[in-house]
Amino acid sequence: MKKTVDVSIPLGPVHPCWKEPVRLKCETAGERVLRAEVELGYMKKGIERIMRGRPWQEVMFLAERVCGICSVVHNMVFIEAMEDISAIAVPPRAAYLRVIVNELDRMASHILANFSYCYTIEHETLAMYLLNTRETVLDNLERITGSRINTAYMIPGGVRFDLLPEDAAAMLADLAKVEDEMRRYTGIFETGPLIALRSKGIGVMSREEAIRAHTVGPTARASGVVCDLRLRHPTYRELGFEQVTRTEGDNFARVMVRFQEVFQSIDLIRKCVDTLPEGPIRGGGLCKAGETSYSGEAPRGELTYSVKTDEYGRVLDIAIRTPSIMNIEACAHSMIVDAASIADVTSTFISSDPCIACNER
Amino acid sequence: MRSIVYYVREFLRPEWLKDFFFVKTAPLETPSYFKGYPTLTDKECTQCLTCMMICPAPGAIAVLRKKDRWEPEIYPGHCIRCGLCVEACPEGVLSSGRILDVTHRDKTAFSSWYRLEVDDTLCMRCGNCCVSCPVNREVDPQLAGTGTSASDEVIMRIEGGRVTILHEEKCTGCKTCETNCPNRAIRVARMVEGVQGEEAEA
Repeated sequence: MKKTVDVSIPLGPVHPCWKEPVRLKCETAGERVLRAEVELGYMKKGIERIMRGRPWQEVMFLAERVCGICSVVHNMVFIEAMEDISAIAVPPRAAYLRVIVNELDRMASHILANFSYCYTIEHETLAMYLLNTRETVLDNLERITGSRINTAYMIPGGVRFDLLPEDAAAMLADLAKVEDEMRRYTGIFETGPLIALRSKGIGVMSREEAIRAHTVGPTARASGVVCDLRLRHPTYRELGFEQVTRTEGDNFARVMVRFQEVFQSIDLIRKCVDTLPEGPIRGGGLCKAGETSYSGEAPRGELTYSVKTDEYGRVLDIAIRTPSIMNIEACAHSMIVDAASIADVTSTFISSDPCIACNER
Repeated sequence: MRSIVYYVREFLRPEWLKDFFFVKTAPLETPSYFKGYPTLTDKECTQCLTCMMICPAPGAIAVLRKKDRWEPEIYPGHCIRCGLCVEACPEGVLSSGRILDVTHRDKTAFSSWYRLEVDDTLCMRCGNCCVSCPVNREVDPQLAGTGTSASDEVIMRIEGGRVTILHEEKCTGCKTCETNCPNRAIRVARMVEGVQGEEAEA
């Protein structure tokens, strides 16, 4: 039977629920969405073009300005790519400190994503609570690195600042508070009947669809795909790392994966602080000429930096592949079509945690 | 009905009420670890230009002559508050948060220098780079218009039809040679390395 399109509804580029401009064109029959199309390109920065020809000392600052929410991981992946090219060894203490800062950044990103989802399904109280908790996480990021967003913490061969024992103690105390609060909010989210009505069984993406669409990060893990690149990272392997997976593949599962990953991050930070090796935080070594493609796990999924450098450490060519692009496409093609009504399109889209700033470099 | 009861019970818990009535506000005092714009301390600037060399943001810092002394000036519109200038300054002229304390305690520092690269296929031996270089001019005021010099102490000179780099370590990274080269044959690369331990103390 041929489906007839009633009306085509554009959502965005300016929408009260969306943090960044993106346009979603939904073709609908009644309340049901038949097709959706994503239109990007409202905030192109041209940052890859700016990076070319500059020494890595400048590019590492530009890299963390690709995205304001997961800036630490952009810095980390770029610098690990450069270390991969130049065979620079990182002292163990620096590697652990990198993990601590990266996990704090991941927590901040996941809590913001969940805030955004709760805000979209009109649970503003929980949303504001989550933002309040995120402040504590950002305060700790500031305590270690001196900044809240663009931290400039990692340098090739190490990190810039050491973790003081009293800072570590204060951070652990704060994290205990964050864990308490997050357990409470997770409980509200898990058991709230109104939340369940807007989340469970909506925007379902099966495991096969997730694999076919090459989704990454919590979006894929919520559908039961093993895709966490931290499993391959040497420091994370030392810490004994297991990824969080759920099988439902709906909005609820995606948000719950993020909630559970926050607890996992807290555990990882505690393990890091407990087993923090002694020693230097900076190693030597200069950049060599070479070419590499290095992937790391950003809060939203796989982040790849393909870099080519000359012997002076200048970046001749760089290409960034950020996680959100496939998630957004998968969202448009499979998740939104399964949404129950037009009202669920926004929340389904937000549940995949789209980052437009990352996509439009 | 069940959901209303659920939410009423949830929002009447003591923790909820405490959170509601004693809302956490933003800190009114800037914490000591906050990395702000670099500010001047009372130490004397020796015009070594390390801060300008290490700064990743173009036009964020300049060392200017003020009456009887040199003074670094920060342009907040360009500064990205990375704090590298504070960490790199050997005299401790600038301060921002507790970067200086940490640097002192961890014995960390940055060492930075410049490297010059000449592309022989593009270079046409005009000598503009050697003549325009302010360090070359200072070392050898008699430097000829084609870039030939009698002194061995210059950064670079034309020898046998090609630019020869003699004293790379003297380069201050002003990039005058790069701007004056008609063919973009000469390039200046900034090299920075983070060091720690005895090396950093020296």
